[in-house]
Amino acid sequence: MAVPADARKRAEEPPAARPRRAGVRARQEDARFERLVYERVRLGMMGALAARDELSFSELKELFQVSDGNLSAHARKLEEAGYVSCSKSFADRRPRTAYRLTPTGRSALNRYLDHVEAVIRATRRR
Amino acid sequence: MSSGSSTVTLDAHAAANLRYIRSSMQAATTVPVPGAAALTMGVIGLTAAAIVATDAMQGSWLPVWLTAAVVAAVAGSLIMARQYALRDLPLLAAPLRKLLLCLLPGFFAGAVLTVADFTYGNLHAIPGSWLLLYGCALIAASAPTAASVGWLGTAFVALGIGALILPDAVQNLLLGTGFGALHVLFGIFIFERRHGRAG
Repeated sequence: MAVPADARKRAEEPPAARPRRAGVRARQEDARFERLVYERVRLGMMGALAARDELSFSELKELFQVSDGNLSAHARKLEEAGYVSCSKSFADRRPRTAYRLTPTGRSALNRYLDHVEAVIRATRRR
Repeated sequence: MSSGSSTVTLDAHAAANLRYIRSSMQAATTVPVPGAAALTMGVIGLTAAAIVATDAMQGSWLPVWLTAAVVAAVAGSLIMARQYALRDLPLLAAPLRKLLLCLLPGFFAGAVLTVADFTYGNLHAIPGSWLLLYGCALIAASAPTAASVGWLGTAFVALGIGALILPDAVQNLLLGTGFGALHVLFGIFIFERRHGRAG
């Protein structure tokens, strides 16, 4: 039976290399998250969605005082990264768009918060 | 090599981000105002006004309204606590603590003024001070809840001023209008807004 090339490579590499690779992947993920939330509205959206199960488009718009187009663009970027999920429904025959934090988004935000807190602790210790 | 000033900047930037996340989370968790609580409190207020309007109870308006206030406060709190439990929101979370901080000074001042006015026989001022201070508490409470709560408070303030100016004969009517009818109307308004057109 043929074994896929990357699986064979993984089997051949020393066990110590595996956590190293996982660490590299986590750092890449963290860097991607930091690039995304460099834009304040996106950081705020992640925070607000962490505090509430679900927030509608109009609630987010009211919270961050941004235009429909701006909010859509920010939400799309977070959605494309897999940090938030979007659901569309109808409430009283009016379209309703709601956003939720995905498990990936929640863990990325938690890691980011840990990182930020670590930076503050480290600099204050000096 | 990075200087001391660049580490301070990094620290300040991190702290600013943390503050921004915290403020976004707090803004997202405003206290929901249950229409059912306002409706229940309104029905209790209307009942008290109806009882005091009868010839036999006109002299006992103060104990009737004090009892109604306690019953309405307990009922409203229980309904709010139930709504919180249903929405899986922690009791005494930051927004709710903020709401209590907005409401309690007004309630405390109302209680002190009631005792003082009763002690010195100034019964005429009691309904006015209740309506006025409750209105002020609601206006303050609109910050962690909704702007509509502020409008309700403004209506109470107007009734309170009216009660202080107008004769004793209309005091029960004003109390019933405020603590009864206004609460009922507000409850219907909240219910309509939540179920009539979801955001």
